[in-house]
Amino acid sequence: MFEKSLYDLIRGLRHQKGNEREYIQASIRECRKEIKGQDIGLKATALLKLTYLEMFGYDMSWAAFHVLEVMSSSIYEEKRVGYLAAIQSFRPDTEVLMLAENLLKKDLMSSGQNIIALPLAAIPHVINPSMANSLLSELLPRLTHSNPAIRKKTIVTLYRLALVYPETLRPAWPKIKERLLDENEDSSVTSAIVNVICELGWRRPQDFLPLAPRLFDLLVGSENNWMAIKIIKLFATLTPLEPRLVKKLLPPLTSIIRTTKAMSLLYEAVHGIVEGGILASVEGTPEGDELAKLCLGKLRNMVLIEGDPNLKYVALLTFEKIVTSHPYLVSFHQDVILECIDDFDISIRMRALNLVVGMVNSDNLVIIVDRLLNQLTAAPIQTDKAVGQETKQHQIELYGNDSDEEAESIQQPTPAQEEAPPLPNDYRVQVIKNILQMCAKDTYANLNDFEWYLDVLIKLVKACPMVKNTDATGSDVDRSLDISYDIGSEFQNVAVRVKSMRPEATAAAQTLVLIDNREKLFPSFSNGGQGVLEACGWLVGEYASELTDPEGVLNSFLQSSAQLPANILAVNLQAMVKVISQMCSTSTSWTPQRRTFTTLLMGRVIYFLEPLFNHSALEVQELAVEYLELMRLASEACSAQPVSGDGEFMDAPLLITQAIPALFAGQELNPVAPGAQKKVATPDDLDLETPINAELLTILQEADSDAHELEHDEMENFYYRVPAPIFSSSNNNNLPESTASERLEAGSRPDTLSYQHSEPDALARLKARRADRNKDDPFYIPADEPSASARLHSIIQTSNGDSADIDAIPIMALPLSASSENATPDHVAEQRALDAAAERKRKGALRKKIAIVADETLGDGEEAEQEAKAERRVKRSLLNIDSSGLGALSLEGETHGKLDVEQREEEERALKEVERLRLEMQRASERIQAKEEVLVKRKKKKAKAKATEELVEEAAPAEGDTVVKKKKKKKPKANGDAPLETVGEASEAKPKKKKRRQVDLTAPEGETP
Amino acid sequence: MINAVLVFNNAGQLRLTKFYTQLDTSVQQRLISEIFTLVSNRPRSACNFLPLPPILAPSSTSNSNATHNDTPSLVTYRHYATLYFIVISTSTESPLALLDLIQVFVEALDRMFADVCEFDLIFNFETLHATLAEMVVGGVVVETNLERIVEGVKAQGKVPKRPRADAGGIGTVVTARLGGLGSFGRGDGVWMGR
Repeated sequence: MFEKSLYDLIRGLRHQKGNEREYIQASIRECRKEIKGQDIGLKATALLKLTYLEMFGYDMSWAAFHVLEVMSSSIYEEKRVGYLAAIQSFRPDTEVLMLAENLLKKDLMSSGQNIIALPLAAIPHVINPSMANSLLSELLPRLTHSNPAIRKKTIVTLYRLALVYPETLRPAWPKIKERLLDENEDSSVTSAIVNVICELGWRRPQDFLPLAPRLFDLLVGSENNWMAIKIIKLFATLTPLEPRLVKKLLPPLTSIIRTTKAMSLLYEAVHGIVEGGILASVEGTPEGDELAKLCLGKLRNMVLIEGDPNLKYVALLTFEKIVTSHPYLVSFHQDVILECIDDFDISIRMRALNLVVGMVNSDNLVIIVDRLLNQLTAAPIQTDKAVGQETKQHQIELYGNDSDEEAESIQQPTPAQEEAPPLPNDYRVQVIKNILQMCAKDTYANLNDFEWYLDVLIKLVKACPMVKNTDATGSDVDRSLDISYDIGSEFQNVAVRVKSMRPEATAAAQTLVLIDNREKLFPSFSNGGQGVLEACGWLVGEYASELTDPEGVLNSFLQSSAQLPANILAVNLQAMVKVISQMCSTSTSWTPQRRTFTTLLMGRVIYFLEPLFNHSALEVQELAVEYLELMRLASEACSAQPVSGDGEFMDAPLLITQAIPALFAGQELNPVAPGAQKKVATPDDLDLETPINAELLTILQEADSDAHELEHDEMENFYYRVPAPIFSSSNNNNLPESTASERLEAGSRPDTLSYQHSEPDALARLKARRADRNKDDPFYIPADEPSASARLHSIIQTSNGDSADIDAIPIMALPLSASSENATPDHVAEQRALDAAAERKRKGALRKKIAIVADETLGDGEEAEQEAKAERRVKRSLLNIDSSGLGALSLEGETHGKLDVEQREEEERALKEVERLRLEMQRASERIQAKEEVLVKRKKKKAKAKATEELVEEAAPAEGDTVVKKKKKKKPKANGDAPLETVGEASEAKPKKKKRRQVDLTAPEGETP
Repeated sequence: MINAVLVFNNAGQLRLTKFYTQLDTSVQQRLISEIFTLVSNRPRSACNFLPLPPILAPSSTSNSNATHNDTPSLVTYRHYATLYFIVISTSTESPLALLDLIQVFVEALDRMFADVCEFDLIFNFETLHATLAEMVVGGVVVETNLERIVEGVKAQGKVPKRPRADAGGIGTVVTARLGGLGSFGRGDGVWMGR
């Protein structure tokens, strides 16, 4: 058989256009065979091919053991293949890793530099905590290897060791530090150390402060820009801890900014000044002003440089950092930043978009929002079809190679694509989200003109992207996916919070609800924006009195609601009734015209509601059933009410003028802070723990099992028992009821049903009998007997004593305004108005006096916020290395004697010792117990078990005090009641040990500077 | 630190994958295809930073501290002739320096194979890995000096010659140089880190 080399494989692949998959599968099969053979060279070749195919996603985890085989080859080229395969295919859970350990150690100690380099490069990819510890001893000597290339790789490998097993850094760190402080060290080693420290730095910056002088020298003295960048990045994490560094760093950093030719260094210097809080710490001084001017000026120039979008991008990134602390500084550069919002490059646009949210103020809000809005309305909405096309176009062909040839022609981007591409939907959503966020910031602090805002909101609806998978039945639509719900809640917010704008907000909602406007105001050819109808439906219902066209609204509801998602439909049902009650409750005379109008209205609503009573969404169903009855009642009331003749005044039916409106009237709804509900104190006498009926479960179970048994019996009877023949045979005359004639003249037998006997008592008896027969038949519904559920209910009720008195349930009055003085809505509104007024005076801008209601809450909102934060726990992202253990490791702790690693080993040893002692003790005491009587023995055993347990516990962190243990060992042998003594001893020893442990824990902290 | 280095061509065919954090092969492929979709959509004059692909994007609920230093937050790429070079990294790397790093990588390859082109990389899989291993170990940059990198790779053995097309076999050898080497980065040298 011919063996293929990697070269042959690739060539073959290039020839197999169209059926690469088969070719690859065949090749893998070949490799499987080759790799199982004896020839190591052949194995290596097969492995290299597999590694190549792994790149395209062909799993090779099955070959892990063969990887190991090739890794242990004596020929360097083969070994290299093995190591490469290990790097590419081993995962932390690969089982053969354990076997690799010795090989790695051996290769690390090799004399050939090339061979040492192989494990050094591979270890970061395969390391796990248990390996880390044992490889450490082989790695450390490599730090002083004569070849700098080995030294620098060792340093990085040690860093990766520390990531998985932080303890390894303790012995490694002094040696790494030594390398860094050595002025004669090779520059690339120094640079590698700086890179590593930069990675470690943000985890425990305080440990690296002592290095500051050396790093500073490196920053000033070195010509290596790569390293300077890293040092600046490192200093940015150190300066917050050591304010004195700021003064020291300022001159070199400013000089770098002024003189360097390397743009990357310039950028990092500016970035470092911002990130390290230097800008903030020198704020206010003339020096600081100059620095801010310098930095921002440079950033501005970076944005302005023609033809380098990368600089634009990173400059915006830095602006973003500044804007959180100095929004006003950034807003000076609003002009250039706003240009970036319209940049054709989506990356830059995204950055600019994030930036403007931070720098928005009452002066530039309108400009920014208008600009974004134009962007949204100008570009067409990406449709489903387009999305599909796009993904199809960019489907990846993972193998094969056909495009290589045409590659050059592909290079030129097609200009047509750049013209007016539809905005990607996620970008669109982001823009809308940011617009809403900017406007609503600090409860509309920046907003002067609410009419403009409502107008913006309406326009945003039109710009909503299409939403996928909203089916009309799904009641649990994911709101976070549909931005239009957010727009809707803004309408709601404005209407509820800004009382003076309520009519306008309601009018806006009305225009959106009206079906005639649907074409015009909503995105065409897609279902985008629909979510806004939920809030709008609520608004037109809640503030029905503000409506200018209630009839139109009602018509729209009746015509369009049925096609809407269930959650919106439910809201619309509520709103519909509210609107009707508003329309009908006028106090004019009950004229024939009005009666006709009202009954007609009711009729239409009933007609609309009727098909909904079995809607698939439960809420819709419930509302439909309720309102259907209500409307029927109202309709009847209308027809029954006599109408007024000419001139005389007649009252409209009370149901529609008083009762129905009363259903919806009540307290006005105010905004409530998210956490407020949780802060309502639970009344002391409210007991949520005690079951209302402790017996309930047993009752239910009993009922259940009874029914089951009986049912079972009946079934058995039916199937297995031969029924007694009722009419055995016609000639058997002995039986009393044998003949038909006899039966016909019955009457003497009271129990049989006779056509003559219809006395009530007989019927009753019959009924009782039937009931008795059927009482356990679950499918039999008795006519007048209480049903099973009713029985259950009555059981519960009787055991509860009196029937529940609902009025007796205490309802706590919520003294909202009293308990939160500074959060009283009116107060806040006043304060805000005052603030706004002051600001207005200062700026000389005109602002209508608008009262905005803030959230109602109890106490302060901190608690709730904290809770929310806790919930927002960051999910570990892909590609993320978990190094949380490293953050807890203190490098300064190494002075306190033993290493943790050694300590742990010692502990393990001690544990083993204890275990051995325990066994001995057990044996000894068993011998003693054998002599004693049974009762005592049992007692002692218990006591002894306890004692030994405690012993184990205590000795766990043992630090060489075996004397105590030996004593313990001897005692059980000596006399019978020894176990009791040991208990005493153990508890005596306890506090001492505890103290010790505490000392151990606190010591490193105390020593850290 | 650097989380991954990828090289693929204009059609998304992989030439090099190197993950410094271990991932399942299938997840790797998904990530690669997402990045390819992003990168292939970009006009040539756009900036060299990609938005995070969906698979890496922080979940919408936890975007509060997206600047956490441990999470990959930067996808940098450069496009040479037929190839895309991609680096995924955390925020401890400097974005502009990473662009330079890619440039160094390509220049080093160019030294290794005089006038490097995609073809060399296809057939010299091992050398490609070796070169990267001289520059980045375990996600940390260990060398940026061109001479030293080339020296390091050459010390490991002879760099194989470009397999000259054996006549008819591969008639249309791709010799589109990964050129523009000088013209793209070194020439204007606006933000060169070196």
